[in-house]
Amino acid sequence: MSVLTLREAPPERLDFLNITPLSLSKLTEIEAARLPVGTSRRGLTLGDCFSVALDGSDTLVIEGGSERLDRVGAALSEGTIRIAGDVGQRLGEGMAGGTLTVEGSAGPFAGSGAIGGTITIEGDAGDHAGGAVYAARAGLDGATLVIRGRAGDHLGDRMRRGLLVAGAAGRHAGARMIAGTIAALAVGDHPGLGMRRGTLLVGRHGAMSPTFVETGSHDLVFLRLLARTLRGVSAAHADLAAGALRRYSGDLATIGKGELWAAA
Amino acid sequence: MGAWVKGGATDAGTAIEAAASLLAAARAPVVAGLSADLAAVRAAFHLAAASGASLDTAGAAGTYAELGALSRTGAMTTTPAEAVGRADLVLVVGQAPWRNPLLERLAAAGPSRGRAAGAARGLVALGGPPGAAADAYAVDPGGLAVSLAHLRAFAKGHLAGDAPYADLARRLYAAQFGVALYDPAEIGEMGVEMLQGLVKEIDETTRFFALAVSGAAGQDRAVVQLSAWTTGQAPRVGFGRGLPEHDPWRFDAARQAAAGESDAALWLSALPSPRPDWLDIVPTVALVGAGSPEAAAETAEIVIAVAVPGESADGVLWNEGRAALTYHAAASAGAGAPSAAEVLGRIRDRLTEQKGA
Repeated sequence: MSVLTLREAPPERLDFLNITPLSLSKLTEIEAARLPVGTSRRGLTLGDCFSVALDGSDTLVIEGGSERLDRVGAALSEGTIRIAGDVGQRLGEGMAGGTLTVEGSAGPFAGSGAIGGTITIEGDAGDHAGGAVYAARAGLDGATLVIRGRAGDHLGDRMRRGLLVAGAAGRHAGARMIAGTIAALAVGDHPGLGMRRGTLLVGRHGAMSPTFVETGSHDLVFLRLLARTLRGVSAAHADLAAGALRRYSGDLATIGKGELWAAA
Repeated sequence: MGAWVKGGATDAGTAIEAAASLLAAARAPVVAGLSADLAAVRAAFHLAAASGASLDTAGAAGTYAELGALSRTGAMTTTPAEAVGRADLVLVVGQAPWRNPLLERLAAAGPSRGRAAGAARGLVALGGPPGAAADAYAVDPGGLAVSLAHLRAFAKGHLAGDAPYADLARRLYAAQFGVALYDPAEIGEMGVEMLQGLVKEIDETTRFFALAVSGAAGQDRAVVQLSAWTTGQAPRVGFGRGLPEHDPWRFDAARQAAAGESDAALWLSALPSPRPDWLDIVPTVALVGAGSPEAAAETAEIVIAVAVPGESADGVLWNEGRAALTYHAAASAGAGAPSAAEVLGRIRDRLTEQKGA
């Protein structure tokens, strides 16, 4: 288990794109300490902010986080990263595989464009969790993103594939979804606005867009499969999927092949 | 001419020296506002590159609502001149477009060219100030983006009935040349995307376009073009790592100030623009139009009055009526205040000299 220990709060935003167990496994501690992570002219290196202890394993622990730690686990393809603290924007952006766990909270755009692996945020997530960044093709794209706490607005915006589970979310959850599945115990106003396909499973919800129409209650095999899948992630979400649900179809402003299941 | 450093009046040379020192010592400087003529905005980009600063504009909220939707779904758009010449139906979305002078031109006469020439021009409001148009449709309680989604569902035939939006959708399809006016800052990225989707669907049977008109005057349209040909990116770029990195979230100047990330700023407002609140918490060099209310010691730590393009100096500005960059000659022979481009160039020269020393 390799360990990076934060010495003091970073003086600027740091970019952790190139800090993965795989990239560190081939380096000595002195070489790793020279990796650039700063985003200003000062040219901060990993060793300037963290003490570095490497053992060549596929597990990396970051002791002490900061909301200024951007792109942690972005481009992770194998191995494990655990952060004992908070992270900044774009956690696990474009991640292809492996396991990424944040014990604190994450900034915006967590899991954006991630195609594989599992991201778990024990605390809260910022806006656009599982959502697409500017000009990107899609948000969450095949990975599993679990947010134990509360997510901000635009959860899963333009999500394309994969599973997104959140304790609660703000407004416009599942906006412009291309496909995929989102489950949240509570969401704010206008969930699924502009969604094309995909499944939204929600407990409490705010105002519904007039472009969603109720299509009754159904007993579908899909819901039992969904409940079984969710059981391994969160019991509360699995219970929601197994309980009484009303189905809405939408968003009728688009091709309208999406569905929203709300607790009856 | 006016220049102030820490509240005391001084000459431009001293203020430029102080500005260069402030930016040179900063870890993460910000160059914001960018409300000026093209030469000054170009100089601001060069100064940002030399000082490792990031850039942001006064109208970024609207600019990114527009660019975000454009990058995802494209846009069907037209020019103000085409709208005046050809449109037989104008849908005005929200409140802000009513404050734009284009509305008066559209209301004054009907289309004179194209298929609809000679027809009467219908002016239809979706939302809008009370009494603005005879034909007004109420906004959904959810706001303009939800209203546009609702209207689009009727236009597609996915919703049916006698609802007001069903009637509005029929009128949009009946137009020979329709134009929807909107302010991207008012309806947001979700709203722009919904509107563009609606327009493209109507275009399968007739001609319809969306035209962004801002309620406020700004140079963002010019900045977007300059930024594209200078950096290959949209305006919110940072030069901290030497190369222009584009990140609309990270380089939001208000966010950077609130998070304590920026430690110095340059606010370029040779043309009037709203003074951002964060000038109070970040040490700032303000370049403001001579004679404007902001040309005073209390605006920022360092204040330099510059000539106002189109009034006391020549300059290339965004011409909203022609949707192009055009040359504006000075209205009066400018005496005294230097141009913003000149001041920015001198700050950059001093900055590189200090770095070399």
